Amino acid sequence: MLRKQIVGLIFSLAMLLAFSVGLRAQTTDSAKKAAADQAMIKPAAAHAPDFSGVWEMHMPASARKWAIYSFVPGIPEMTPWGKALYETTKPSWGPRAVTDSTDLVNPTNGNDVGCFPTGVPRIYTHPFPFEIVQTSGRVIELFEFNHFVRQIYTDGPHKHAEDLDPTWMGDSIGWWEGDTLVIDSVGFNDKTWVDRAGLPHSDQLHVIERISRPKHDTLVVHITIDDPKTYTKTWDGELIYQLEPTWKLTEMICEDNVTFNQLKKEGKEQ
Amino acid sequence: MISIMGNKLHSYYRVGICLLLLSAPAFAHHGGAAYDQDHPLTLTGTVKDFHFIQPHPLIALEVKDAQGATSEWSVEMTAPNHLVRYGWNGKKLKAGDQITVVGLPSKNGLKILNLRKISWATGELIPLGPPLVSGQE
Repeated sequence: MLRKQIVGLIFSLAMLLAFSVGLRAQTTDSAKKAAADQAMIKPAAAHAPDFSGVWEMHMPASARKWAIYSFVPGIPEMTPWGKALYETTKPSWGPRAVTDSTDLVNPTNGNDVGCFPTGVPRIYTHPFPFEIVQTSGRVIELFEFNHFVRQIYTDGPHKHAEDLDPTWMGDSIGWWEGDTLVIDSVGFNDKTWVDRAGLPHSDQLHVIERISRPKHDTLVVHITIDDPKTYTKTWDGELIYQLEPTWKLTEMICEDNVTFNQLKKEGKEQ
Repeated sequence: MISIMGNKLHSYYRVGICLLLLSAPAFAHHGGAAYDQDHPLTLTGTVKDFHFIQPHPLIALEVKDAQGATSEWSVEMTAPNHLVRYGWNGKKLKAGDQITVVGLPSKNGLKILNLRKISWATGELIPLGPPLVSGQE
């Protein structure tokens, strides 16, 4: 009898233990999921400055003539390969602008729609605002121009993936250096330009952005171009943006260019 | 952009300022090479149609010349994304409205005008961008 009671007690304890382990495992999983969910939505880490907001380009008057199409006023020195490529570009903007541009983004001939992605850093030179949204470990850039989105993960390793396939907007990794956000991007295709005036690049393009907020309403985007196949040395430029606290990004769909081109053809261009 | 503020346009000083201010968004899509920046044109007429579309709204404007002959101009505006931030929408203009526009004509000789300034028949300016502030000139 006593033996039966002891066996029963041991069995009951074993069941209780098994149940509690299962419960703990479930609790741990739930807690992990909750923590992960929280990590997805919690605001940026306290030590990272907050760049959130809608930003509109606001350059000094002396720079506005070139800031409409580039982030540098002059022409950087090119390699023979780069120069030959530059001479083939037909921009719709800048000192070499032509009326029959077949620019993949801003064509002027009325036949092309122009929906291709701009690449980086060209996206910054289009005169439309962009918004920065920050979450823990990530900075998201939402561009009004054709709704392009860049996601910069700041909590990963400072290393790009191996054997990246080339893309229009490249592969970007980011990190904070004090109050400056550094974005390092590679993995571009060679179809885009670095600005709207036809400055070319190769598939070796390496872009380093340093973004800072010297004043509450001012954002500075410093851009370095490292492309030894196209340029004789690295070069850089800077764009300044102003906070627009009351603005919301609005819709912009490049496919609407079809309607626009058609209306013009039906009207004054025939 | 700068050249338009030359001697010929001295009397259009304010237009020149507007041009500088608005130059960024106004040429946002198709570039400035297609328009004659040295010979801005002023037209007064009647709105026939108004398309508030991407990437540039178009105003069909009927204009009478000195002899009374009517011609139709297509007036191209800056991106609607910019205009909505300064009070514009698809109902801002309607057929029959009397307006005066200042803009850059197309170099190809067609009756296309790249809009730089617009006002009601009363002379009241219709803002296309932010108000002028000191230092923006």
